[in-house]
Amino acid sequence: MRPLAILLAAVLALAVSGAARRADAYPQYQLARDATCTGCHLSPAGGGLLSENGLVVAEQASWLGTNPEALYGAPLPPWLHLGGDVRGAAGAVSNGTPGGAAYPMQAEVSAAAGARGVTVHVTGGLRRPQGEGGSAAHVLWSREHYLMWQQHPDGSEGLYVRAGRFMPVLGLRLAEHVAYTQRFGASPLYGEAYAAAASYVSRALEVHATGFVHDSIASAVEHGDGGALYAEARLGAHAALGAGAKYASSDEVHRTYAGLTGKLYLPGADLLLQAEAQLIHQRLLPGGTVDQLAAYFLATRPLVRAWLLDVGLGHYAQDVSVMGLYRDCVDVNVHWMTTSHLEWLVTTRLELLDGGGGPNGGYALLQVHYRI
Amino acid sequence: MASPRPDRARTFALACSLAASLASGALAAGCGTTDDRPATLEVVALEVLAPTCGTPQCHSTTTRLEGLAFDTLATARSSLRELGVTGGRGGELLEVLREDGDERMPPDMPMFEQDVALIEKWIAAGAPGL
Repeated sequence: MRPLAILLAAVLALAVSGAARRADAYPQYQLARDATCTGCHLSPAGGGLLSENGLVVAEQASWLGTNPEALYGAPLPPWLHLGGDVRGAAGAVSNGTPGGAAYPMQAEVSAAAGARGVTVHVTGGLRRPQGEGGSAAHVLWSREHYLMWQQHPDGSEGLYVRAGRFMPVLGLRLAEHVAYTQRFGASPLYGEAYAAAASYVSRALEVHATGFVHDSIASAVEHGDGGALYAEARLGAHAALGAGAKYASSDEVHRTYAGLTGKLYLPGADLLLQAEAQLIHQRLLPGGTVDQLAAYFLATRPLVRAWLLDVGLGHYAQDVSVMGLYRDCVDVNVHWMTTSHLEWLVTTRLELLDGGGGPNGGYALLQVHYRI
Repeated sequence: MASPRPDRARTFALACSLAASLASGALAAGCGTTDDRPATLEVVALEVLAPTCGTPQCHSTTTRLEGLAFDTLATARSSLRELGVTGGRGGELLEVLREDGDERMPPDMPMFEQDVALIEKWIAAGAPGL
């Protein structure tokens, strides 16, 4: 990074460490609460539908603490969980020339139904039609659908086995899909595949093994077939270290991802640090190789009640053999969980090519996230 | 469940690993040499266009904004043809990469100069593989 970027990062780091603190729960506060992803979510990989405890956390973490249940407590049979997300964004984007942007991000409904540890999970919604010539602005599709068996249906630890369409489990799995390790790494947006996975989740250790084939029907982002393995171990009360790998082979390229993750919660500063680095080796067919590196560091700290500040630093080397072919970013996100269902997010990014030596870009967006 | 006592040595080791993760990025960026990548369709499509233009929410096979996709070799080939790229002619591709106004692509970040130069070199060589 150039001096300007370093100075900016230092100022932001100081802003994080000097801000007022209040430890409310949020997914990025896993270690602060001594919890697992399954402590709040039904899926062993985290994300998506909230468990009973997750709903309580959503209520406690919000400004107004409204009824957190789906549809504000609509009567549902005990074997059914419902949820969903509607998200949109508007703001300014710049690639050297400033411009405006406003767009829908997500409109999905999720359901999980079952009993005695066996459940069917479906997440579906709207997306743009694939291909040309379609008259519809959006079409219905299902991003995730799988059958799951859970060893302890009333608990949040133990063995989980899944089969269906979902994201192979690897790395930090941040909600921010623009994090370099997700955008350029092994778990990009819409990277779901048809897969079978076994996961073991406990407070001390989680292990996920996934085998997958690409979705040739819905033309997914993942075009290869392969497997992923990820393990994360807790080190003491407030730290965790993880390692994983993914291999995906298509008729155009073989990609191997190898990564490390780390999480460190500093109770005194009420600060969570997360970092991930992935080395990506691509063997192009019919010939040639490319080695890439994607890394992301995220510091998260609560401000006053229901407010949260993230500062992220990213690095992506598109080809480590070529000098100057890398980009860095500085992200600053401010979250306001207004109600148990509504979150406002101001997200900003300054992106620098070649350490700031080339043209730069970025964005400042206001996002609204509504959970059904 | 009661939390175990924090282990300072382990915490220190983890902090070092976090720092190492970041440092690895800087090291990787500094280890490169001059650009001697071959000007082939495979490199242009899979190394340049796929991560820059073929992002999931833009020109991926899944999303296909403007009917274009650059996340695979096959879709990049057809999309480049659609943009009028031929041997010796950059078509709309080079126009939008070089645009000064708000039509410039990618919208959130300029393409690396080295990548644009590689595309131009590939086109000048007759766009082999297209």
